[in-house]
Amino acid sequence: MPSSRPLWIIVGILLIPPIVVPLLVGLYDKDDPRLWGFPFYYWFQFLLIPCAAAFTVTAYYVAKEAVRRDRAARGLPELDSKGERR
Amino acid sequence: MNAVAFSVFIFLFLVVTVMGFAAARWRRAAALDNLDEWGLGGRGFGTFIAWFLIGGDIYTAYTFIAVPATLYAGSVTGFFAVPYTIVVYPIIFAFLPRLWSVSHRHGYVTPADFVQGRYGSKGLSLAVAITGIVATMPYIALQLVGMQVVLEVMGLQSSSDNWFVKDLPLFIAFVILAAYTYSSGLRAPALIAFVKDTLIYIVIIVAVIYIPHHLGGWGHIFDSAQSSFDDFNKTNADAIAAGKAQGRGIIPPPAAHWAYASLALGSALALFMYPHSVTGVLSTKSRNVIRRNASLLPAYSFLLGLLALLGFVAIAAGVKVTNPQQSVPQLFENEFPSWFAGVAYAAIVIGALVPAAIMSIAAANLWTRNIYKAFLNPNATPAQEAQQSKIVSLVVKFGALIFVLALSKDFAINLQLLGGVWILQTLPAIVVGLYTRWFHRWALLLGWAVAMVWGTWTEYDIASPTQAHFGGPLTTFWGTDTKVYVALMAFLINLVVTIVATIVMRALKVPDGVDATRLEDYSVDAGDTGVEEELTPETPAH
Repeated sequence: MPSSRPLWIIVGILLIPPIVVPLLVGLYDKDDPRLWGFPFYYWFQFLLIPCAAAFTVTAYYVAKEAVRRDRAARGLPELDSKGERR
Repeated sequence: MNAVAFSVFIFLFLVVTVMGFAAARWRRAAALDNLDEWGLGGRGFGTFIAWFLIGGDIYTAYTFIAVPATLYAGSVTGFFAVPYTIVVYPIIFAFLPRLWSVSHRHGYVTPADFVQGRYGSKGLSLAVAITGIVATMPYIALQLVGMQVVLEVMGLQSSSDNWFVKDLPLFIAFVILAAYTYSSGLRAPALIAFVKDTLIYIVIIVAVIYIPHHLGGWGHIFDSAQSSFDDFNKTNADAIAAGKAQGRGIIPPPAAHWAYASLALGSALALFMYPHSVTGVLSTKSRNVIRRNASLLPAYSFLLGLLALLGFVAIAAGVKVTNPQQSVPQLFENEFPSWFAGVAYAAIVIGALVPAAIMSIAAANLWTRNIYKAFLNPNATPAQEAQQSKIVSLVVKFGALIFVLALSKDFAINLQLLGGVWILQTLPAIVVGLYTRWFHRWALLLGWAVAMVWGTWTEYDIASPTQAHFGGPLTTFWGTDTKVYVALMAFLINLVVTIVATIVMRALKVPDGVDATRLEDYSVDAGDTGVEEELTPETPAH
């Protein structure tokens, strides 16, 4: 059974951008360019929402595989596709 | 008062009331007389229900009123709610599954239960419990403030000088809420949360499409907000230069960047220290539900962002109110046909009932588990625990009600500001404790105490153009002139004190306390040894 360690590291790395990027206000405190009348400041933050979700969703799938390996290594029963005990 | 709006409002309110009482029979358990059932809804909620329940925790009526109000008042800092609700989910993703696992293995109901088990310290657990209760109470009070604003705009307040008669409608709504929370426990807000969110989604989507279309589009809305703020800045230039008024704008000036970022980060870290958020998370049926929800919940952030912008929409629509909190309900009153205004009012009021119920349950659980059972009646049976919690949930709610009606509304708002500072100080004991036991229990207690005192004293000292004390959440960071969120600074003090004191305690060989948890407890799932399956013994009725 391959180790889960590299996967947990990937999960950790995937969770960094959605925490750090929204806090760098200097990146997006501008009016131009506008989109549908929204200043850049606003539409960029709205855009961050699906982008951040893409990172957490990816992390979710990687974590699921990592959990599977951890459970197999400890001899625990497998989880079903929803990540629950059968 | 408009008869159509009022009828729609009353109809929706009645629907929710019936649901609240019927919830006791939903996913029915053999008995409701234990905390796992009454206080955590049987610990059996899947992704779908949990999404609504946790959403109901985070996006409260007060958020719906207060966030657009700050934008209406010209402080773009209020939009930090958007980055805040982006940043919070990766954080949830990382640590809450561990809290879920250890809590299920050991039957913990509150975060303070975990601290007690992990550090073997009743003192530290008591500190966490009291912090949770005092930080939650003003939060409940603010839900009432949110309801009160809507009832005012609806014209439902009588002009009587007697505070009881004046707010009779609020009182009635609250008595009903208290009654079904008492009888149905966490199932009531979980079921009502569906209605709440459906209504709110409809109202917001209509509001952000219909109203801007009438007003000439979003570009025009931002421009009119900007020009209204420019006018304000010009007429009040002297006062702003003298620090007697705050400059307004639609994009934060560079000086406010750290304020914006630190408010977002500090609030995100604090959110899941609030006992009601933990209650929502522990009521889920498997640890996987939490991670899945962390990926799905950002849909609400979108909603919140749009809602915040209604503050600017209100300016463009020419809404003139002296209390900015009335701007959004007044906007609905002016722009919507009256039947739809009724739907919108109901959405906000129901949006207050859900979090108020969850919060009162969470505060009651803290009292029961970490004060009553820990100190007053160690041999309490599960039925006695549930009875205590039910009664305390009533006490907590009526406390909040009296607070808002008889005392001052501003007092509740100030306390809520302080609540955010306070609750963040339980993070080292709870979150760090999930990963390592390196921190010493007495060091954690000391760090907590120092940060609580420093944070409270600093907040007290903050003056604003309108208030001498508790004037806002920001203060200058040491050695700089950059304004930063007080809670985050108190948290840094907390960490430093805890680390230094841990080194000292270890050097003095002060006993560490017994750790009741084991490494593997932090990754177990439902059905594994020692973790009960869904606690509802009967098949769900639906």
